[in-house]
Amino acid sequence: MPGDRGKPEMSLAFPVRVPGRPAAARGWFGTGGVLRVGYVGVFAIVALLALIPVAALVLGSFRDSAPGMPDGSWTLSNWAGLASPGVIDTLTTTLIVAGLTTAFAMVFGTAMALVIHRTDFRWPGAMTGLLALSFYFPSFILAMAWIVIGSPGGLINNLLQDALGIEWFSVDIYSVSGIVFVMVLHQIPFVYLTMRGPIMGMDPSYEEASRSAGASPLAMLRRVTLPMLSYALASSALLCLVMALEQFGIPVLIGVPGRVTVLATQIYLLCRFPPTAYGLAAAVGLTLAFLTGLAIMLQRRLAKGGRSVVTTGKAGRITPIPLGAWRWPVNLLFGFYAIIALVLPSLILLYTSLIKFFTANPFDAAFTWRNYTYVWHSEDTQRAIVNTLIVSGGGALVGVLLGAACSYFTVRLKPTGWRVLDLMVMLPFGIPGIVLGLGLLWAYAYLPLPLYGTLTLIVLAYVTRFLPYATETAGARFVQLDRSLEEAAWTAGASKQMGVWRIVMPLSLPSLQSGYFLLFMAFFREISATILIFTAATSVLSVSIWSSFEQANWGLASALSILAMVMMVAVMSLLLWAMPGARTR
Amino acid sequence: MGISVRGLVKSYSAVNVIHSISFDVADGEFVTLLGPSGCGKTTTLRCIAGLDTPNAGTIAINGRVVSDPARKLFVAPHERDLGMVFQSYAIWPHLTVAQNVAFPLTVRGERDTRDAVAWALDVVGLTKLSDRRPSELSGGQQQRVALARAIAARPQLLLFDEPLSNLDARLRDRTRLEISRIQKELKVPALYVTHDQTEALSMSDRVIVMEAGHVVQEGTPEDLYHRPVNRFVADFIGSANFLDVRRGPSGWQLPDGTPILVDPASDTGDDSGSVALLRPEAIRLEPGVHGDLTAAGFNRLTGRVVGSMYLGPHAEYIVEVGGLQLRAFSRAALPRGSHATLVFTALDCRLVASGTPHSRSLAHAG
Repeated sequence: MPGDRGKPEMSLAFPVRVPGRPAAARGWFGTGGVLRVGYVGVFAIVALLALIPVAALVLGSFRDSAPGMPDGSWTLSNWAGLASPGVIDTLTTTLIVAGLTTAFAMVFGTAMALVIHRTDFRWPGAMTGLLALSFYFPSFILAMAWIVIGSPGGLINNLLQDALGIEWFSVDIYSVSGIVFVMVLHQIPFVYLTMRGPIMGMDPSYEEASRSAGASPLAMLRRVTLPMLSYALASSALLCLVMALEQFGIPVLIGVPGRVTVLATQIYLLCRFPPTAYGLAAAVGLTLAFLTGLAIMLQRRLAKGGRSVVTTGKAGRITPIPLGAWRWPVNLLFGFYAIIALVLPSLILLYTSLIKFFTANPFDAAFTWRNYTYVWHSEDTQRAIVNTLIVSGGGALVGVLLGAACSYFTVRLKPTGWRVLDLMVMLPFGIPGIVLGLGLLWAYAYLPLPLYGTLTLIVLAYVTRFLPYATETAGARFVQLDRSLEEAAWTAGASKQMGVWRIVMPLSLPSLQSGYFLLFMAFFREISATILIFTAATSVLSVSIWSSFEQANWGLASALSILAMVMMVAVMSLLLWAMPGARTR
Repeated sequence: MGISVRGLVKSYSAVNVIHSISFDVADGEFVTLLGPSGCGKTTTLRCIAGLDTPNAGTIAINGRVVSDPARKLFVAPHERDLGMVFQSYAIWPHLTVAQNVAFPLTVRGERDTRDAVAWALDVVGLTKLSDRRPSELSGGQQQRVALARAIAARPQLLLFDEPLSNLDARLRDRTRLEISRIQKELKVPALYVTHDQTEALSMSDRVIVMEAGHVVQEGTPEDLYHRPVNRFVADFIGSANFLDVRRGPSGWQLPDGTPILVDPASDTGDDSGSVALLRPEAIRLEPGVHGDLTAAGFNRLTGRVVGSMYLGPHAEYIVEVGGLQLRAFSRAALPRGSHATLVFTALDCRLVASGTPHSRSLAHAG
């Protein structure tokens, strides 16, 4: 430290006015009880959020009537109904769809992450940006776009038959392969984002050692890189599987017309179309939640075991593997992905939103603004937009504050019962959105709380479903924060709550912002948890889009989708501009 | 006044890390807890700060009991009125230097902090850097910000948790002096935790040596160095030769029978497992052979140089004598294999107990 050599001798002359020392401050922050009250409050809120829908589902699965109907009685027939051929068929389809989706998404997502971060690929920044954008592309909007493209009367078939005269070949998106195709497109960015960290955090010396031992790049990939990533791969695959199992938007839009039913859509069908069977839906929901919960539990185990294995935190510079002759095939593949996952769907929706009647040939089309002007005249749509902004903007704030509070208790203070709190926060993460919605439907039909038909219920559903997003981002920061930073505040005279307020909060602001951003985006595009609990007064934009599409109003659905995406991009830019901390994601 | 610790016990789950220790720090006294890692010294300090909760025993600061589990009494750290310097400095990166130093004052509701901050920064010589961010400071400067913050509110007690271990050697020497001068000026009791014997010896009025959760010895630095109670303390503080000696027909002798005079005051009459402590610097090492002699409180032995290490001011030699290998210093150049004469007084050669019931970890203590 050359800077402080030769500093003048310390002056120990006391100032004339020696500062007095008042007694430790009291008041709202000064006494010790605030945190304790806060803990009890947070514990109670999370317990209610997590346990009410689950308990209601369990109860509901033993009822033979719709939620809130007085004439019901107790029954086991719903659980017996699980053994019916219909449910077993659905379960098989669900597992096939989810399994195939996971397999393909893992292969492509991991390959993309390896190419972007391990080779001399020319446009890593651009590709990362594109993948992040398509991560936020709502699944049901992607499904809509691909229905326009790939349905029997859609773009591709029109092209094949009318323009090229090919009769012997046609595509049908309304099929298992169609669902898998769109789901893979949707899941690839998730796999990329989860694999990117482990790949970038890998200690390069292992790979360098294998190269210097004479391994070719491919041999190194096979024998060193992938085995070292095995924990991360397994963990990513399990999360991907959970998302595929609970995916609702894609199978409901593509699968229902094609008579391909998965568990998530079956729950919806059982509740919406007569003869309704809410009890059976609850039993199916619990089965689905059991599958996803099992996968989540496995993933948590793996993540704990693998943490010490892969990352040393010493991300060094690594010699990129030359792509050589593979450069152009790889470039083409990336370009192709960007087109089918992002560019083409957006353009198709824009096109569909601007024409009066659907035609594949833009030169035949009658262009119109009516789908956009409709938004100005439709009070329902405007209400949906306002609702969406309230639910996303306000709900995300509630979510991030609750999540940060939970993490502070479970990661730092660890008071009695913190493990239970941790478990309850994670519990809804294993519960698919549609199942959570069903649970809330059962719960608030019985509970004497005036929540049904309010935006509060929607916010409750979203916060419950996505609370782990907030606890994980805040928790990761709290773990990093050196304990002594907070202890220094205590020994300097700050009570624990004062330490939180003046030291922990400001130092965690970036990750709180990042958590808010994640929650906002998740709330904005959520549909599966909403679809069973919305009412006319509490409809949100995602539901409006979906219901216009269901009513075969492709034009309006597309216009609303374009509007939603413009809003998302605008809000995204606004948030990133206002909250620099959110940029880390 | 000062600190008074009585029967302090701390255990994590079922493992005791502190086994009922007691000690005092008088008003204005600088006391160091010294010991190898894992001996419980930092835990003791954290119990006094209120960052850890003891399982038993009482802690009083300036006459006020701040911790007594038997009476379910525990005063939170922020109400103990202390200043603490952490090993990691724990300077808050989102605040400027001045804001860091002002924190103990603003947190107590004081509005005008300017004079106190100026004074504290002046004491550590950082006045010019008051508007800097911690990330712009060097390690030594951050350490001094931590010091200024600890004294800014004029606490009645200063605690130091290995504050110098992250500094380089040269800076460590200077900061050592600064810390003891500041403490002397403030006239508050200070408790300092370190595993570095140089820090302990050079700064403290009194040193408490800990091992495996027990206090092994407490005393002035001179006491500990010259009159260690056992081999562990002798080995941990300073460098030491341990001579395996046994009582012969006409007095003490080395393994090969060479007679040797030891400090009679240290001879307790207990012959089991005796070792004699002989500091390397107490040995005068001269070239040539002058014949063995033990008389008039002096030992003169002949040995053979088997190893040497040049250190600058002098060389350190390994000398084989009487079936033992001893370390000794000399400014003379002694070729390996040559004979040399070792001279030391009987008073410098003290019998020490070779162990205590709880000295399990001698191997890493040196």
